Amino acid sequence: MDNSHSYKMSTVHRHHETSRKESEDESRLPALEAAYTDILRHLGEDTDREGLLRTPLRAAKAIQFLTKGYHETIDDILNNAIFDEDHDEMVIVKDIDMFSLCEHHMVPFFGKVHIGYIPNKKVVGLSKLARIVEIFSRRLQVQERLTKQIATGISEALQPKGVAVVIEAAHMCMVMRGVQKMNSRTVTSAMLGVYLEDPKTREEFLYLSRRT
Amino acid sequence: MDRSKQNKYSSNEKNDNGDGGSVLNGHFDGMVKRAAGGPQAPGAESAPHRSTSAVMESWKEERTRSLEDNEMSLPSLAAAYTTILRGLGENPQRQGLLKTPWRAATAMQFFTKGYQEKIIDVLNDAIFDEDHDEMVIVKDIDMFSMCEHHLVPIFGRVHIGYLPNKRVLGLSKLARIVEIYSRRLQVQERLTKQIAVAITEALQPTGVGVVIEATHMCMVMRGVQKMNSKTVTSTMLGNFREDPKTRDEFLRLIKS
Repeated sequence: MDNSHSYKMSTVHRHHETSRKESEDESRLPALEAAYTDILRHLGEDTDREGLLRTPLRAAKAIQFLTKGYHETIDDILNNAIFDEDHDEMVIVKDIDMFSLCEHHMVPFFGKVHIGYIPNKKVVGLSKLARIVEIFSRRLQVQERLTKQIATGISEALQPKGVAVVIEAAHMCMVMRGVQKMNSRTVTSAMLGVYLEDPKTREEFLYLSRRT
Repeated sequence: MDRSKQNKYSSNEKNDNGDGGSVLNGHFDGMVKRAAGGPQAPGAESAPHRSTSAVMESWKEERTRSLEDNEMSLPSLAAAYTTILRGLGENPQRQGLLKTPWRAATAMQFFTKGYQEKIIDVLNDAIFDEDHDEMVIVKDIDMFSMCEHHLVPIFGRVHIGYLPNKRVLGLSKLARIVEIYSRRLQVQERLTKQIAVAITEALQPTGVGVVIEATHMCMVMRGVQKMNSKTVTSTMLGNFREDPKTRDEFLRLIKS
C-alpha cells in the first residue's frame, strides 16, 4: 500500500476550506440559528408561527450539512481504497448526482458529474470517486472551480495517466431568480494528462459518458 | 415587522394545527352563498363589482412588506448572511464571497416577494364577463417556492382548472396567483389550498381544481436524499370536489 506520494495540500485544498472541524459544528449552531431568526424577521415573517418555530435550527443544520465538504480532505476518504491493479484502460463513473451551493447567491446548483481516468497501475475504489465529488461539491462553490478541484484531487491521489471530469448542472440562481431561464444548463470540463493531450482519448470519454 | 400585519393564513395556522383546512373550506362555502346575493361585507369600500369588495375584504391583510421595507432590511439581512458564512468556516473576505451577503440577501428577498403583493393588485382588471361554463385549464405552470422548515428551494409544476360561472379570468393571472403564493416560505399543502381559495374568492366559479407536483430540495439534497421523489398535492373545490366526472376530466386533461 503506497501512501508515500507527496500530497500538495495547497493546490487542491486551500487553507480556509479545511478550517472547519466537524466537532465544532455543534458549538457554532447557536450563532447560525440567531442569524436565521434575524433573516426570517427581516423578510417580514412571523417567527412565532407554528411552521417557523424551529426553522432557524433546521435551516442552520441544513446549511451545515450542505457545506460539510469543508470538514473533509481527500486523504481522509481515500486512505485504504487505492489498489495496485495491472490495468491501464479507461475507467468511467458517470451520472454521479451532485448538489452544491452557489457561492455568489448561496442558492443550490445541482446536476451530474462524469469522471473518467486512465489508471497507471493504481486503481481507486469506485465509490471513492463519488466521495471525492461530495467533498468538493458540499461547499460554497463556483462550477468551474468544482470541476478543476475534482480533477486535480483525483490526479494528485492516484497519479493516473489522465483524468477527465465533466459537470452538467442547473443553477437555481439562474432558474429561480435573475434571468429565470428554466431549462438552461451549464457544462464545464477539466481534462488532465492524456485526456488533454490526446483528442482520441478525450473523444472516447465524451462518447462513453454521453446521455443515453 | 409588525405582527398585526402578519399573513392571514399564518394566523389560521395557530387555530387549526397548521393545516387551515376546515377554516378555509368553511370560508369557501360562505363565499359561494355570498355570490348568490348575500349582504355586502361591512367596512368594505364600495366597488363596482360585488366580488371586488369581497376580495378586498378577505385579502386586505395580505401585504406585509413594501419595497421600502426591503431596502431597510437589506443591511441586517446582509449582516446575518455574513455571520452565516463565518459560522460555516468560510472566509467572507475572499474575492468570491465579498459581495455574497448582499447578493444572498437580495436573492432571499426575491424568493419571498410574494409577501409584497396583494391578489387584488394582480387581478383588478382581468375579470371578464363571458358566457362560458366549460372547463378552463392552465397547466405546467413552473413554480418555485421555499420550504419554510429548512429554507431550501421547492420547485415543480402547478396545474389549475376551473369551471367559470359567467366570469373568466385573464389566463396569465392564474400564473400570477401562483407566483404570489409560491414566492413565500411555504408548505406545499398550504400553497395548493391558497391558490384554489384565491381563485374561488376572485371569481366565484362553479368549481376549482389545483394540482401541484414538486421536488423538495430538502429531501433531495439532504436528509433522506431521495433524488427522484416528487410530492403531489391537490385541492378540489365546488364541482371538482362533488362531481367525480368533472374531477376525472380535469385530471385526465392535465396528464401530459
